[in-house]
Amino acid sequence: MTAPGDELPAYEVGPVSAEKMKTMSALMRDANPIHFDPAAVRALGLGDRVVNQGPLNQSYVVTMLTRWAGGADRVRALRLRFLGNVFAGDRLVAGGTVTAVRGDGSGRVADCDVWLRVSGGDPVLSGTATVLLGE
Amino acid sequence: MTAVPDEDELGKLVGTPFPGGTFTFEPWWVRLVNDCALAPASDGAASPVFAFLAATAAMGWSWEQLWAHFGATEADGPMAGETATEIVEPLRVGATYTVSGEIVSAVRKRGARTGVFDLVGYRLDLHDEHGSLAASCTNSIIFPRRSL
Repeated sequence: MTAPGDELPAYEVGPVSAEKMKTMSALMRDANPIHFDPAAVRALGLGDRVVNQGPLNQSYVVTMLTRWAGGADRVRALRLRFLGNVFAGDRLVAGGTVTAVRGDGSGRVADCDVWLRVSGGDPVLSGTATVLLGE
Repeated sequence: MTAVPDEDELGKLVGTPFPGGTFTFEPWWVRLVNDCALAPASDGAASPVFAFLAATAAMGWSWEQLWAHFGATEADGPMAGETATEIVEPLRVGATYTVSGEIVSAVRKRGARTGVFDLVGYRLDLHDEHGSLAASCTNSIIFPRRSL
């Protein structure tokens, strides 16, 4: 049975692909060149590597939860604070901890602290999630 | 609005509605987003991230139009602060959702390291074809105010 204090299995991502960022820019109709033009990133003093889209970073956290909970449809709430950038080539790790288990109208749910950080480096996202349990 | 709003003007922007629109989760689009996100295709549109993507795609303004309401442009470097999504019913591939929302907060802050910035919150709701709330997404944007 899931209990407060349980560690969620870590999910490792990367190296993050610049090509997928280009596709995502097109899908989102996001014209911000920091996602596809290294010159634009250099002009901002952020280095030579393009910057990953925030929704992709969020998705890595969701996938970490999905692998644990058994499906994306079990993730009922997600609150994330943006703490830093992810750059092409970065390796990342997502994880979390169960903070509470309770019942709501849809069944038993787990409240979790969740995070995404650059492997061996800085946090990128930090927040909470509510996940429907199948137990 | 093109000038940076003063604090009174900023507060009066709370309650400003988005024009809104509709968004359909076309199967090819969902598949490619999941591919970019390294997520299983079997997840469909159920991830809360799809609520954010659909809501902001159909909010009725471009990002530049949203920035303009707060006297800012892309060059000013607006940044995402937080995002919070609640799913009432998992979003479905092939379904069409109506997006509506409004500005829910707008305050000026001063930080020792960050200087002056405006913190703006907006909420976008997705309703299904029956009018039932399917998901709600509340986000914040940080507008640096280097000129203040």
